Amino acid sequence: MDTLRLLVVDDEPGMRQGVARALRNYKFGLPDVNGDVWFTIDAAETGEEAIGKIASAPPDILLLDHKLPGMSGLDVIDRMGRPEAGMVTIIITAYASLETAVTAIKHGAYDFLAKPFTPEELKTAVRKAAESLILTRQARRLAQEKRALRFQFISVLAHELKAPLGAIEGYLHIIKDKAAGSDPAVYDHMIERSLIRAEYMRKMIGDLLDLTRIESGQRKRELATIDVREAAKSAIDTASHEAKARSVTMSLHCPASVPMTADRAEIDIILNNLVSNAVKYNTDGGRVDVTVLENAGTVTVAVCDTGIGMTGEEASRIFADFVRIKNDKTRSILGSGLGLSIVKKLALLYGGDVAVKSAPGAGSTFTVTLTSSPEGQKARGAQAQAAV
Amino acid sequence: MATILLVDDDVDLVEMCRLVIEHRGHAVKSAYSAAEAREVLKTCAPDLVVLDVMMESETAGFELAREIHEARPETPSIILSGVHSATGVPFRFEPDPTWLPVVKFIDKPVPPTALADEIDAILKK
Repeated sequence: MDTLRLLVVDDEPGMRQGVARALRNYKFGLPDVNGDVWFTIDAAETGEEAIGKIASAPPDILLLDHKLPGMSGLDVIDRMGRPEAGMVTIIITAYASLETAVTAIKHGAYDFLAKPFTPEELKTAVRKAAESLILTRQARRLAQEKRALRFQFISVLAHELKAPLGAIEGYLHIIKDKAAGSDPAVYDHMIERSLIRAEYMRKMIGDLLDLTRIESGQRKRELATIDVREAAKSAIDTASHEAKARSVTMSLHCPASVPMTADRAEIDIILNNLVSNAVKYNTDGGRVDVTVLENAGTVTVAVCDTGIGMTGEEASRIFADFVRIKNDKTRSILGSGLGLSIVKKLALLYGGDVAVKSAPGAGSTFTVTLTSSPEGQKARGAQAQAAV
Repeated sequence: MATILLVDDDVDLVEMCRLVIEHRGHAVKSAYSAAEAREVLKTCAPDLVVLDVMMESETAGFELAREIHEARPETPSIILSGVHSATGVPFRFEPDPTWLPVVKFIDKPVPPTALADEIDAILKK
């Protein structure tokens, strides 16, 4: 329920009482507002009285006579300025002409109502003004929430970028001052660590650009028929160097071809993130199994590892931006904390989703479902986007 | 020679400080969370503790600093943290006998040698 305060300013007592009578029990519903919108009515006889009332308790809707004794309706609009919370003004005039209307709107009025008017005409004008006011306020609130979220994102991002930069700077200071003795191996180690941190900083910036492109919709999507088997093979190839270094065996379980309509670059991002995580969070000598299935218009990709796993509480958080699980097993594993958030957003874009099944020490299985036809993606993707 | 306990969730920060501090002839113990530091403190009595703030929680280091002060008031602690720039609080955290019982608050980033200088200065007192 939304109660709006309406102030009627008119020197004719009949007009003030008429407006109060017409609107006292008037209410209407709006699609995005819970319950009805209705009004509480206050009245003022002169412009001066109106200014006083507006200053002490600003109304939502001002029903303002154009021709008042002393200061005119337009003077009132000019004097009151533009209240912060937004107020809509309807000018009432007995001299309805295009000129009066244009002047009133120029002064900041929302609408005008010609005297004499019926209660129905009054209700229509007031309802229109109320709808505009409520929609404007909702839009403003959403914009504010969006700004707050964006600010929070940037703050966290700045912090996440400072950490590797701080590590690199620290090592460089020591190298410059030769502050760690004379053993060259110690300095080689510091250079190696600096390069690793710089590389992950670069990856984080890459992930950030991916995320921004997906969220802004700026990147031109190139939808074509692609083979998910090919994408899965390529992701396994990309991770093979690191997997070999840690004796992790990777296998692909997939039909000869799995066609779907997609932007190959997006499917690559999903698969690369999941396969690279499966290797990174694995144990030496572990396994990664990538399974691709197609069934009734849905492509399912499951990436299963024999790695360190996580708790249910950790699993519930990992698809949010910048979330990384910190414990003694993950301490030396570097990452941006954005990969799984990107996977989730892309899966939603394809009318699908991503889920994880995991337990500490027992590995993790990430399952992504994607709708393979563009029609299905559009219908379900749009719903998911609206829900985000 | 003194024993220094370094507590920070960034492995490289701990590593770089360790290299410099050990080169100056001290022994270094490390912990990567406040919880780990509590474990280390059960078996080791450091001469000085260097603490990060934001680890398991946003204020894990503050809590740990108070616990250390209560259990071993003679052991000095230094806070080494990026908490000012990360949180954007409109005031500075300063050492305070009641709620932040540390001898020094240093903002990250700091060259490891400068941190080592601070440590040596405090140990000399």
